[in-house]
Amino acid sequence: MPKCTINGKEVVVKDGATIIEAMHGGGAYETSDEPQKPGEKKQWAEGKVAHYCWHPGLSVAGVCRLCFVEIEGNPRLQIACNTVVTEGMKINNTSQKVKDSAKWGLDFHLINHPLDCPICDQAGECGLQEQYMEFGKYNPEMAEKKVKKHKVVDLGPTVVLDSERCILCSRCVRFTEEVSKTNELGIFNRGDRSEIGTFDDKKLDNKYSLNTVDICPVGALTSKDFRFRQRVWYLKDAETVCNGCSAGCNVRAYFNKEGFFRVKPVYNEEVNGYWMCDEGRDLYKFVNRENRYLKARRRISGGAWDEMLPGAGAKDAAGVLKSSGDAVALVLTGQYTVEEYESIVGNFVNEFKSKKIYHWNNNPKTENDFDGLLIRGDKNPNTKGLFKVLEKHGVKTSWSELEAGLGNGSIKSVVVAGPENLQFFPDMADKVKTLSKAQNVIWLQSPRFAGLDELKNNVWIIPMKSYVEKDGTFINHAGLEQKFKRVTTVVSEALTLTEAGDLLAGHHLLIKPALNTLVEAERPEDRVMLENRKKNEFVFRRGEL
Amino acid sequence: MSEIKLLTEFYNKDEFRGINGYQKMGGYETLKKALKMQPQQIIDEVKASGLRGRGGAGFPTGTKWSFLPKNNEPRYLLCNADEGEPGTFKDRMMMERAPHQLIEGMIISGHAIHSKKGYIYIRGEYFYPISVVEKALKEAYDAGFLGKNILGSGVDFDLDVYAGAGAYICGEETGMISSLEGLKGQPKLKPPFPAVQGYLRKPTIVNNVETLAAVVPIIKDGAAAYKKFGTEKSPGTKLFSLSGNVMRPGNYEVPLGYPLKDMINVLGGGMKPGRTLKAVIPGGSSAPVMNAAEVEKATLDYECLAQMGTMLGSGAIIVIDDSQCMVDMLGVLMHFYHHESCGQCTPCREGTGWLDKIVHSILEGRGRLQDIDLLEKVADNMKGRTICALSDAAALPVLSFIAKFRDEFEFYVREGRSKVKGTAYAEMHH
Amino acid sequence: MSVVQKNTSETTKWFLPGILVGLGITFKHLAKNLLNQKKMMTLNYPEQKYEYSPRFKGNHILTVKKDGSLRCTACMLCATNCPAECITIVASEHEDPSVEKYPIKYEIDMLRCVFCGFCEEACPVDAVRMGPEWQTPGVNGANFNYGIEQLAYRPQLKGGMMSLVDDEERHKYGI
Repeated sequence: MPKCTINGKEVVVKDGATIIEAMHGGGAYETSDEPQKPGEKKQWAEGKVAHYCWHPGLSVAGVCRLCFVEIEGNPRLQIACNTVVTEGMKINNTSQKVKDSAKWGLDFHLINHPLDCPICDQAGECGLQEQYMEFGKYNPEMAEKKVKKHKVVDLGPTVVLDSERCILCSRCVRFTEEVSKTNELGIFNRGDRSEIGTFDDKKLDNKYSLNTVDICPVGALTSKDFRFRQRVWYLKDAETVCNGCSAGCNVRAYFNKEGFFRVKPVYNEEVNGYWMCDEGRDLYKFVNRENRYLKARRRISGGAWDEMLPGAGAKDAAGVLKSSGDAVALVLTGQYTVEEYESIVGNFVNEFKSKKIYHWNNNPKTENDFDGLLIRGDKNPNTKGLFKVLEKHGVKTSWSELEAGLGNGSIKSVVVAGPENLQFFPDMADKVKTLSKAQNVIWLQSPRFAGLDELKNNVWIIPMKSYVEKDGTFINHAGLEQKFKRVTTVVSEALTLTEAGDLLAGHHLLIKPALNTLVEAERPEDRVMLENRKKNEFVFRRGEL
Repeated sequence: MSEIKLLTEFYNKDEFRGINGYQKMGGYETLKKALKMQPQQIIDEVKASGLRGRGGAGFPTGTKWSFLPKNNEPRYLLCNADEGEPGTFKDRMMMERAPHQLIEGMIISGHAIHSKKGYIYIRGEYFYPISVVEKALKEAYDAGFLGKNILGSGVDFDLDVYAGAGAYICGEETGMISSLEGLKGQPKLKPPFPAVQGYLRKPTIVNNVETLAAVVPIIKDGAAAYKKFGTEKSPGTKLFSLSGNVMRPGNYEVPLGYPLKDMINVLGGGMKPGRTLKAVIPGGSSAPVMNAAEVEKATLDYECLAQMGTMLGSGAIIVIDDSQCMVDMLGVLMHFYHHESCGQCTPCREGTGWLDKIVHSILEGRGRLQDIDLLEKVADNMKGRTICALSDAAALPVLSFIAKFRDEFEFYVREGRSKVKGTAYAEMHH
Repeated sequence: MSVVQKNTSETTKWFLPGILVGLGITFKHLAKNLLNQKKMMTLNYPEQKYEYSPRFKGNHILTVKKDGSLRCTACMLCATNCPAECITIVASEHEDPSVEKYPIKYEIDMLRCVFCGFCEEACPVDAVRMGPEWQTPGVNGANFNYGIEQLAYRPQLKGGMMSLVDDEERHKYGI
């Protein structure tokens, strides 16, 4: 464990760590292509080195030549990404020599870079913009014609390339070589005519292709899904856990009051490393308002649908459930949090005295699949959590019992906690048909599904809150419990499974009395605003660049 | 002093090319002697002789060989016959006229470094030398000088020719290793150095054609005899490729320390009638240029030229007389480096393009006075900041041309035409 | 600290001289105006209108390119800079790769706009300008959310104002 001195501070680093790993905390690191913590401002802190081609999840390339540091005893500057720390090394990156070399390194990157900031999606989180503000802000001296390359190149079903913006850091090429192991990308031509591209007839078409958009430090690779939808400084972000499969990758969701726009991965050593899959990135679509149930719907004896508020709908259904006695069944998908399962299963077992709780397994055949990197075959984030709760309450059932019960009439009412990520539930239509045999169906669901209109008899459809709107715990395939907090609220009238369960059991919802009307803020920058408000100062904060 | 014919004694004899002629004139005897020596003895002999790399860097060969790790990993010996440096054509002559000399040198060197496999990387444009060397290899295999158990000594050595595809950057040692591995010929980061981790991640020694051929006379006559030629720090002889505005351009072998002006006037036949010497580039286009006053004082060895601020390099002496426009010449050089940059690291990729564009805009009459300072600034900031030395090779000519011939540049910027030729770019190159 | 004298003397106690002096000034101005109506400061609006300077910040104009299409590239700098947050832009992809990004919706809520001119300053391509028009009333129910039709192609603009920043010229110079 060698000890070295960085900018005057003594640091102990791991064996074999390079200087750049030592300066970035030997593990997690942050530049503008990784989202920053709320309230944190990027600055030329003494522990950070400007870099483009280094990424802690990829091999070292050493091609951007920006990460020079000064090592005492060496007349030449050395690159920090490829120099291993030795005992007693004295490293310095605040001297004028280093700043000059970084300024010229940036200058060389910019001489052929197109003036695309107005139309480039990366504006606001661009590596070049960030470094220019740090130690650029100079007038460019290049008076010659810039190199022209291909723009708006369709690399595949998810990614668009702009070769002029590309700084040839080769992160995307190394990603397809080392992480996704699909080797689709390469650098063609040589010199300043070099361009990223795919080989003949091959497209960038793998399940992790959008990670290349994340790691691209400039706007060369852009996601077709997010392209031009919103400027990044209008988006807020918060961490949560993806609900696509049982891997439980940590993600950061970007949103504003219009809805959610995109999802990016967050580094978690145990769960997903630096990456996430493409399927998980589409799941924000099920959360946005246009795809949700906003009001509860009720149909009596197959008649017309009428609408009401979710709470009222649940209370209405509660009356019917009470009259069913214990001929009530509960169908659960593995999509809800452990706390919600606790509450609703507890309600069922204690209030309705019914142990007819069934697990809706949408992928029994592919359950134990694993593609080698991240994607798991079980497309529910919390199956293990569900089983844990069911075991605790001593519930052991199988789906065939439900079908038998529906057939012979021993189950009159069914409460269904429907899925959130509809794309992984191809058996929805089938299950709707099966469950519509019951007399009363209370379907709790977050995203809209047209097939629910096929339910006959007495139906209540009650809108639920999606996974980003509640606090909770998911247990992933390896048994790791991950707690996450609410990101924001999209449909405020919707109920969580806990609230729905309480209302259906005939309880009133608990409203916690507010001890003080002024709720203390949790995030540091909100605290600042609060202090100023208390002092009667007006702090005006715009979206930051 | 006149030419010494250590390496080039039989170049003009056609039969020297074939194995029978080569053996008749004393070839492969040294190999028999070397196979009886221990590998460490050969390395010591080469170290004692002070042989320096003849490809351009001038690194002591014996020292390079001793960097190899002492383990049982397979080693590779690579012969760098890429000869991309503009102005150099000495290796081509050796491969065309004395291929067996090279092969013998490689087998001896392979034995010295415990290598069982060697490659000769010849640039793709050398169609004729490739065919000559391949024929020579076949003859050597048939005669039992290559392959398993050479001449019954228990030493195995296999040699193959690998043709390049037209990239100057594949002459850089790690670029060549990448190209041999089948990847794009882009240099790798150093450390790790090729002697520790090179071709296929195994210890690799990369040497120039001339260096490997010079091993033969060293082992034949001993290190002391080799040191009799040349100077103390630069012993031995070297092949120089003389070109440019001289009467008799060609390859000349002289001992190191030979005066440069003698090379041009005596061996090269002097300038063309009515012309005076203006500048000389002594070591291939990457070496800083010398003006006429410096040429008078220079001797052809590593130390003297390094002291004068230039370098011996690959030994390509380009002679420039007063009819040549220096701005035009710089334009040609910059176009070369712009075309040949591999594009991996940013300062070289963008910088070579930028230098090329600025020089050409001066040549086309659109130059501004601050362009000359800009050229110096860009070249200064390209040096020393890249993976390989192509960036330095592009920057050094710019700095030296502007330092020594600034008046020609300023004239061109102010008047829009060449000081020497009187005409503008379009007329010089139509 | 200044000391103000108290009005204690007989003449000033009544304030009459002060009043008379003031009235005198007023009547002097009245007489001047009656006798020399041309030099009066009053502007007889709406017959006479004030001539504003060429930099006057009036109604917005969205400039167009040479072929008549909108200059705006939907970079949203104007919306970000606007202190009243009155500009709403929705961007979209253009089929022509040399244009790439253009707004399909560009709305300025005129009732929120304070005509500060920050949007004009922020725009990098001279797409939005503040023009000279300044009195655009609307009756009840009039739509004060001006869209692209009204901002770029209203009849007073005679088919659209040309932008001074031309991408083709820029590309020809190699930037």
